[in-house]
Amino acid sequence: MAYKRGTKAIPYLILGFVAAPFLIMYVGFFLRAFGEKMVLGIIPAQWGIYNFRFLWQPITWGLEQTTMWTAFGNTMFFATLSGFIVTVICMLAGYALSRVEFRGRSFFLILQLVLHAVPGQILLIAVFFLLLYIGLLHRIPGVALARAALEIPLGVWMAKGFFDGIPWDVERAAMVDGCTRLQVWYKIFLPLVKPGIAAVFIWGFLFAWHDFIYVYTLLPGTIKVMATLIQSLLATEVIDYGYLAALSLIYSIPPLSLFIFLQRALLKVPIFGGKGT
Amino acid sequence: MGPSVGLVLLFYFIPVILTFLIAFTDMGRTLIWRFIGLDNFARLFGVGSRDPLIPRILLNTIVYTLGALPLTIVGGLLIAVLSMRMRPSAGLFFRSVFFIPRAIPPVVWGFLWAWSFEGTRYGLFNAILAALGLPTVQWLIRYPMIIVILANGFLGISLAMLVFSAAIATIPQELTRAAEVDGASEGQVIRYVILPMLKWPILTMTAWHLMSFLNSYVYIMLITGGGPYYATEVWSLYAYHAAFTQYRYGYGASLVVLLVVVNVVLFLIILKAFGMQRMLTRGKIEV
Repeated sequence: MAYKRGTKAIPYLILGFVAAPFLIMYVGFFLRAFGEKMVLGIIPAQWGIYNFRFLWQPITWGLEQTTMWTAFGNTMFFATLSGFIVTVICMLAGYALSRVEFRGRSFFLILQLVLHAVPGQILLIAVFFLLLYIGLLHRIPGVALARAALEIPLGVWMAKGFFDGIPWDVERAAMVDGCTRLQVWYKIFLPLVKPGIAAVFIWGFLFAWHDFIYVYTLLPGTIKVMATLIQSLLATEVIDYGYLAALSLIYSIPPLSLFIFLQRALLKVPIFGGKGT
Repeated sequence: MGPSVGLVLLFYFIPVILTFLIAFTDMGRTLIWRFIGLDNFARLFGVGSRDPLIPRILLNTIVYTLGALPLTIVGGLLIAVLSMRMRPSAGLFFRSVFFIPRAIPPVVWGFLWAWSFEGTRYGLFNAILAALGLPTVQWLIRYPMIIVILANGFLGISLAMLVFSAAIATIPQELTRAAEVDGASEGQVIRYVILPMLKWPILTMTAWHLMSFLNSYVYIMLITGGGPYYATEVWSLYAYHAAFTQYRYGYGASLVVLLVVVNVVLFLIILKAFGMQRMLTRGKIEV
């Protein structure tokens, strides 16, 4: 790599130039969250955690009031439930698709792709009526179920990939030794695909944690999750950007840390390398 | 197997059918089913009492999709190719910077843009302009569409860049080394060795993002809310507003039905062009 030193700087210059506005945005965001008195609008004259006062004080806007912890708890409940539903269903379906040859298997795969072409966010009107009629509208479990359904088509693909990565021989050996198919699934597969389970769960959890439009539309204004809380504060007349930056920061910590974990889990998945490919 | 099919049926098939049914009613705030035939569609296509906003919305949707799609593909390629030709640590740094939009929640990404381009001097970029003694700019009023395209485009870039980088990583070193030994310049290596190997990922990402931009409205809703005065109101957002802010569920559903039809037609064209079999077999490698 030692030769042609002159041209080596160009990629750095171009990417640096493109990344600069974003770096300014991210750094500005941090400064705004931790700064108290701003000089020239962006440089904090004094550091502090005054912007994080929602950690011990209620949050008020207009005539409404809630606490950060209520919203955080709601988000956690919603995301965990949604992730759990996604995991259970995707693991069972992924195993079936990967191992059992049944009629209509390829039809099911094509179907999942077609379903992916009509994303959930544009079916929201119908989902609203559906939840209304089955009596789950305005309830976190109902919305979590609807949200989980969105992740299932891709989640099944993902789970199938993990199961594909486990060689047939392991399973055949267990069956020869007298295990039933369910025992194989429970005793042989689950331990092998634990990282896969973690990955699918985190994946379902993250999408639910990130979700805005479902909770905003299908939950009443009185049940606040972090996303709708931040949106409500953004929609008020006087916006305290430092306060909102701090709140957004707290809201972003779980997904950011999970993304790092998800990458590790995805890397150590298969026994013989390669994710089913 | 059963629960998966059941849940998918419940939250995909029934909604699609329900959307089609509601589209033929004048369902409003009262939630009473009353079928009115094709009235909603007549209104959409400008027969009888036409909706004067439709041409504007259509134009916005086209401008938005055609703006964000090339930005995503070209930007994703640029970042992937350049970051893979750097020292690994520097490449990783740049890929992380451009992956952040996808790692943080949409509301936070929306907040970042709404705050950075806030029109008063409290906005990030206006504060910088003011600190430099320059006049402030009403970003979201003067350039709403550009901001919306950039915010969504860089979200697309975060995925496209990862897919392209992964594809570049599988290109054998011998190929690029051989070209370099033969005296190819950096640009020639990229143009004649790397880009031809990326044909398949570029096609899939184009198809993928065409669909996602056509149907995405959440970020627009968070950043501009469709404004100022319908300047960034795209088709899917208009459907959402019709249903959930004006409570005209029937009309909103008819807008969605047209969108679903466009989606399905596009999807079939893409499948035809790519070949179903290749899509099925290559699918699991891509993501």
